[in-house]
Parts: sequence; structure tokens; C-alpha cells
Amino acid sequence: MTASFVMAAVLGLLYALGTFLLLRRDVVRVVWGITIISQATNTYLVTMGGFAGSVPVLAGHGGHGGGAVQDPLVQALVLTAIVIGFGTTAFALVLTYRVYEEHGTIDLQALGEDGADIDGGEPR
Amino acid sequence: MQPSPVALLVALALPFLGAAAAPLVYRLVGERTAYFAAAVAAVTFLLLAGEYGAALAADPASSGLTYRWVPTLGVSLTLYLDGLALLVGFLASGVGVLVFTYSGGYMHGEPGQAKYYATLLAFMGSMVGVALAADLVALFVFWELTSVTSFVLIGHYQRSDSGRYAARKSMLITVAGGLFMLVGFLMLAFVSGQSAELARTFTLVGTPESLIANAEAVRTALEANGLLVPAIALVAIGAMAKSAQVPFHIWLPNAMEAPTPVSAFLHSATMVKAGVYLVGRTRPLLLPEAAVPEWTLLVATVGLVSMTITAILAVGATDIKELLAYSTASHLGLIIAGYGLANEFGAETGAFHILNHAVFKAALFMVAGIIAHEAGTRYIHDLGGLRRDLPITAGITAIATLGMAGVPPFNGFYSKELLFEATYEVAAHEGGLFWLFPAVAVFGSVFTFLYSVRFLMLFFGERPEGLHAHRPPLPMLAPPLLLAGIAAFIGLGGVAGAFGAEVPLVGGFLAAVVNSSALHALDHGFVYAVPTKLSPYFVMSLLTIGLGTVAYPFYDRLHHAVRRARALPATSPNWYYDRSLSVTNGLSVATGRVVHNGVFRRYAYTVLAAICALALGGYAAASVTFPGFEGLAVSVPLVVVLVTAVLGAVAVSRAPSHVAGVLTLSILGLMVAIFFVLSDAPDLALTQLVIETLVLVIFLLVLDKLPSWYGDLAGGRVAADAGLATAVGATVFVTVLVTTGASPPEPIAGFFVETAPVPEEHGLWILEQGGGSNIVNVVLVDFRAFDTLGEISVVAMAALSVLTLIGMRGRGEAETNTVAEPEIEAVADGAVPGGPEHADESGTTPGSRGDADGGETA
Repeated sequence: MTASFVMAAVLGLLYALGTFLLLRRDVVRVVWGITIISQATNTYLVTMGGFAGSVPVLAGHGGHGGGAVQDPLVQALVLTAIVIGFGTTAFALVLTYRVYEEHGTIDLQALGEDGADIDGGEPR
Repeated sequence: MQPSPVALLVALALPFLGAAAAPLVYRLVGERTAYFAAAVAAVTFLLLAGEYGAALAADPASSGLTYRWVPTLGVSLTLYLDGLALLVGFLASGVGVLVFTYSGGYMHGEPGQAKYYATLLAFMGSMVGVALAADLVALFVFWELTSVTSFVLIGHYQRSDSGRYAARKSMLITVAGGLFMLVGFLMLAFVSGQSAELARTFTLVGTPESLIANAEAVRTALEANGLLVPAIALVAIGAMAKSAQVPFHIWLPNAMEAPTPVSAFLHSATMVKAGVYLVGRTRPLLLPEAAVPEWTLLVATVGLVSMTITAILAVGATDIKELLAYSTASHLGLIIAGYGLANEFGAETGAFHILNHAVFKAALFMVAGIIAHEAGTRYIHDLGGLRRDLPITAGITAIATLGMAGVPPFNGFYSKELLFEATYEVAAHEGGLFWLFPAVAVFGSVFTFLYSVRFLMLFFGERPEGLHAHRPPLPMLAPPLLLAGIAAFIGLGGVAGAFGAEVPLVGGFLAAVVNSSALHALDHGFVYAVPTKLSPYFVMSLLTIGLGTVAYPFYDRLHHAVRRARALPATSPNWYYDRSLSVTNGLSVATGRVVHNGVFRRYAYTVLAAICALALGGYAAASVTFPGFEGLAVSVPLVVVLVTAVLGAVAVSRAPSHVAGVLTLSILGLMVAIFFVLSDAPDLALTQLVIETLVLVIFLLVLDKLPSWYGDLAGGRVAADAGLATAVGATVFVTVLVTTGASPPEPIAGFFVETAPVPEEHGLWILEQGGGSNIVNVVLVDFRAFDTLGEISVVAMAALSVLTLIGMRGRGEAETNTVAEPEIEAVADGAVPGGPEHADESGTTPGSRGDADGGETA
């Protein structure tokens, strides 16, 4: 496989942006960060399958007959990952909602540093 | 000659099975579990005794029984029974019978008996394992098992601070020592693999390839690699920690927090003997044929120094169990010193004193238990003249203490005489500084004599006012009586020996024990006798007794002097132990506070930075080469899509509002879907589109309920975050570059690609076995169906959690309120409405406040 500078640059940027968001104080932005990182990871996995082959569908059902196909294992893995990523995102969002209901803020700094005092405080 | 495999395996397994059954037995028969445990120990003893003949004829090159354990690593469970192993096995099971019987009386009415008997049996099994294991890994496992079980036993009174402190101390010291020993073991195995004549082996003894069977070759290899002294030192540290040698002796006096039967068992006959056993076992391996080898300089010196220092400390003891604890460390020092000396008397000293010390010290611990139990105190100054109340115990004590003091013709005399003989031989041969060996031996023994006599004097002299002791129950009296009988028998054997008579059993057995750790088998049997003429070593014995007798009247002065010296922090290993522990504890708490401070950012920082450092460090360590630039390697449409995706992500991180962010996040998601289309992954693209839509909807639904808070962006923090983000991005960049540039020899996909488009003779794998032609689908629903099931479960679980988080809020809140109410009342005075009960409760409060409450409620 040829080393792909384009993919490396794109994935590096996506990870960097995801990490930056992950470090924000706003819980919603943290969730975005996680989403971006998981999207980038899926892209990375598919990249590892290579771009050389054709669709991994056999002849007779609309696929090509013969010739190299894309790595089907990677695709199966990523398909699972996408669905699980959805579950995680939905859960994270609802957790955010619940945190807001309980503590009245979505500021992670405030939640972490003086979680005890935050109860009943007003949202900023 | 090989021992019977069944007998050894059963002897090893039975105590553990007994331990597993102990809680159940306790439910059925209550305190009589003691006798159940004693029966288990007795059966183990008899099984080992049945192999007596085989053990005496054991051959290091062939008598081992080998069972497969971890064959890929060359680790096996090898059992080997020779004289030394049999002696330690006898001590574990034989003293075990007595200790369990004694416990039947001593532990009467104590809490936690089921746990006590189960742990004690497991300990006994581990000790039998240490004796039988001839494989270094198996030996290490059983060794640490004794540490763990002893931790539980020492901390038996788990509610007392001192019990917990003692348990932790013994655990830290003995387990840490065990780790040093493990390194030593690995070194031995490694070196055996380096030698041309040997294959790498963990087997210590018992097979033709074992280390001890090829001791000469192993030693040569060790010396060639310059590892002989490190190997000796590492193994010796393990043994010293276990056998409570200076400066690791500090755990033993604290371990006296354990119930007295545990002290009698672990701290006289068994656990502390494990270290000594290790020294005796590895002696033929690590002791080269030289006049004064490194082994002697290291091991004998440590032994003699420990023997002397701990004997002096015993004189400073105020508690009878503390005295016995220091005395135990001192006698273990004597044994180690014996094994350290390179002549045959050295091996004889070690072998004989293991037996003698176990017999008299176990008896003395039981006596201490009787005193504590019946007189109600263990404080030496409060005790005296007990002979009138406890005549039989006084007799037992006399035999045991005189043996401990080394007075002829009691049992300890003969083994101490052998030590004198061994040190004298070395000194006479080498001269010069080596005269320190016999001198120190005599000096230390004087203190042994002193504290032994002091212990005996608990029974003589005047009885303090108000001291009264009851007669002990039979289960507490019979075991020490039997031990004293054995001690007397060994002692009388020496008297008989002086008249040329042979004592049955003892001589032959001990000869086998000596041969286990001797370089050359004894050409004569093991004989010992009261000396009939004035040899130099007999003079040393007489000198010890004479000096001791002269010094005894000044015992109290010595006692106070030792206590004053002990109080200096700089000379006390305890002080260093406590200091280092509190520093480590403080460090650990401080680290926890820094790393685990509750702020999410901190966790993300730690984890991400660590991953980056590890990944980049790994690449650097493996000196990965970067592939050169060979064109785009992706098609132009892909580049366009990817650049759009990155722009989407940039827009997300700069989004001025939540809604804007979510919408731009969708751009990224859709671009990823198109990326999937372009890279021939239609299933992924479909899934991605559906999921992306759903996520968008959920985001919008939730955002509707959340405040529009647009965060911070304070300068310094943003710079730091950008730094970390850049580091992560760079790591990913390098990783992707290296991995896409690599070409693994056989991609896993090859299997599917090859089997999917039909090797004719097998039929269509995917089509016919899977019933579909889309390989990805067939993989998901057929070949990795359980994975898919797991995936669906995750989604279901997420759905349930979402439901719980949203739907249960009302209920949770209600409960919290009812719980919180009384607290609020307690904190805030009259401000909170009280209700009628509240008014009733504060009815005792006189006057206006109660009225005010009532008024507010109304």
C-alpha cells in the first residue's frame, strides 16, 4: 500500500479539531469532539482497507465478477462501529440533558471543581 | 527413587480442599472445626510420612514428578521430595496438627473462626507447596501464597489499628522480598538458557535437566555472565525478608498481633522457615567450591549479624511474645549463618537447627499463649513465680528455654555447637578477619542465653501481688507437652550418643536433610553427642554459658540500655519503614488529587498526552522509517470530499451557537458518507446516512432543552488546548502515514477475498453457506453474528439508559426530597416549615422557639 499523505493530513486535522473540542468547558462541545473523533476513526479504518478493489459484492447480485474487492472485514467492523457510535452519542446527549436538569449548568469546569456547591445554581 | 505421585498430589491438595470446606464445616460443628482442621493436617502428615523411604533415597537428577502447567513458557509443576522438603513438610503438617488442636482451646469464643481455620489450612497447604515445589515459578507462587494467607492471619483482628498495621507491614516486606527473589529466579532461568550445555529451564531440582542436577554448569554460566553475586543477593533478599533478617526483621515483632496459635505456627515453625528453606535449597546451586566463596561472605555475614542484633533486641523486649519474636529472628539468623558457611558442619547446623528451633519455639509460643490466656498479661515485669500455678507448663518451658539457650544436653545445644564448629573451622583455615565469625557467634549467643533464662524466670522467683493463673485446658496443654517431649528426646539422643549408642530415626533423617543442601553427600551418617573432651567449640559453648551467667544479674540494666538505643530513630529500621511509607502514601494521595480532580479536562489531558507519548515513543524505540511522498495515492474526488469534511470540522469548532455547530457537524457526517461511497463501501454509506440524520434530530431535540451557553475561550487555556490538539493530530498523522505505508505479508482480508469468489470444489462459501452475495452483510449476520448481536444489545442498552435518564427523573427527585428533608431541618433553624412531628420533636426545647415553629407551620 502506498503511504497516503492526504489521508494522514486529513485524519490528523480531524483528530486535532476533535481533541480541541473535547477540551472545551461546554458539555455539548465535548460531545461534538467525541463525534468528530469517532468519524475520523471510521474513516481511518476504511482507509486501511485500501482503495484499490471494487465493491465487496459478488457477481449475480449487481456486483463485479472476479477481480480484487475491498477488504470486507474492515467494512463490517466499521458498520458495527457506526451503529455503536450512534448509541453512544444519543446516550451522551441525554446524559448532558440530565446533568443540566440536576445541576443547572453544562459547564464542566464548574461541575468538576465544586460539584457539591453547584446544586440548585442557575444556568449561566 | 520416585515418591508416589498420588500421595504428594493429595498431600498438596488436601489442605486447600479443607480450607474450601472449612466455612461449611464451621456451620455444622461450630468450634469443633479445630479438630476437623487437625485431622486434615494429620492426614497430610501421614501421607508425607508414607514417602519417608522415597525421600531419603531422593536423587536430584531423577526423583521429581513433573506435570504440565505452562508448556509454552517451559513452566511445569514439578514436585520433589527429599530430606529438606520432607522436614519442612513435616513441620507444616505436624506442627499444624498441634496448632489446630491448641486453637480448639485458645480460640474459644473468638470472632471470625470460620475465616481463621480456612486461612490457616490454606496457609498450611501453601507451606507444603513451598516444600514440595521444585519449579521456580511454582515455588514463587506458593511462596507468595504464604505471604497472602499470613497477611489475613496477622490481621485476624481486623478492627484493631495495630492488627492492620502489622498485617500490612508483613505483607509489604515479605512480598517485596519475594519480588526480588523472582528476579533472581528469572536470572537463573535466563542464565541456564545462555549455557551451551543446558536448555533454559525453570526446574530447580528433580529432573536430569534441572538446575541443581547441573549445578556446576549453571554456576559456570552465572560466573561467565557476571551474575553469580547478583543472583545470590536477589535470592538472599527474598529469604531475608521472609525469615525476618536484619534489616527486614521489623515485621516479625508486629506480627505478634496475630492470635498466639498463628504466631506459634507461622512465626516459629513454618512461614519464617520458608526463607531458611530457600537458602538451604539453593545452597548446592550457588555455593561454589572455593575456600571462602561470595555466598559465605554474603549469607553467613547477614546471618551472624542478624542473629546478634535481634538477640540484643530480644533482651530489650517487654512483652513475652515480642521477646519470642526477636528470638525467632535471631535463631533464623543462626540457621542462615550455618547454611552460609561452606563446610559440612554449616549444612548440618542449618538442617539440625531448623528442626530444633521449630520444636522448642513452637512450644514456647504455646506457653506464651497459655500465660496470656490464664494469667491475663504478657508484660514481662508483671509476671513471675508462675511455677506454683502452672507446674506442667513450667516443666515444658524449662526444657524449651534451656534448649534455646544452648545448654547441654538440651536439643538446641547440639545445633549451636555445630555452628561454633563451622565458624571455628573457617576461622582456623582462613585466619585474620575470619576470626570475627566465631567471635560474633559467641557474642550473639550470650544474649540468646540471657533472654532464654529471663523467659524461664517467669516461672520462678517471687510471684507479684494479685497475679493468679488458671490451669489451661487440655487442648492447650497437650501440644506443647508433646513438643517438649520431642525436644527432650532429641536432647537425650545426644547423651546416648556420648556412650556410642545410635538414636533411631533422628540420625538417618537428618543425614538426608543435610544432604539436600550439602555439596557432597555425607560419607558418614549424621551423629551428634554431648562432647566428652574439651574441643575448641565446646569451650565456645562453655564461654557463652559462663558469660551469660555472669551477665544475668545485670539483665535489667541491659534491658534499659537496649530500649534507650532502640528509641533513636536513626538506628531503627522501623523509623525508615514508617517514614518511607508515609512519604509514599502522601505522594500517592497527592498524585490522586492532581490526576483525579473531577475536572473532565484533566482526565482528557492525562489520557491523551500519555497515549501520544507512548505511541511516539514506541515508534522512536522501534526506529520506524517514514515512507517517502509518492503522489496523492487517493483520487481527486476523494480529496475534494475530505477537504470539505475538514472544513466542516473547522466550522464546528468555531461555531458561534449550538445549532450552528450541529448543522456544520452534519456537513462532516455527510462528507464521511460520500467518502464511504467513493471507497466502495455502499453498506457503510447507507448506514452513515441514516445514522447522521438520526443524530441530527436527537441533537436538535436535546439542544432545545439546553441553555445557549457559548463557553469561554480564555487565552492561555486555548493555547494549551491547541498545543495538545496539535500533539494528538501529529501523532495521528505519523500513525496513519506509517500504517498506510506498511504492507503486512498476509492481510486478513485475503481469507475472505480468496474464499468468497469460489474455489470451485468447495462451492460458494459466501453465497451458499451465507445465503447472500454481499460479503459485508454475510460477515455481519453469519460469520460474526455474535458481534452483531452485541452491537444490537449496545443500542438496546443505550435506549434503556436514555429512557431511564429521562423517565425516572421525577421519581428519583421525589425520593431525594424525602431523604433530604430532615437534613435541611437540622441545618436551617426555624426557616424551614416544620410540620406537626417536627414541633413534637422539638417539644423538649423550652419556650419561644417551639412556639415560633408552630406558628410558622400554622
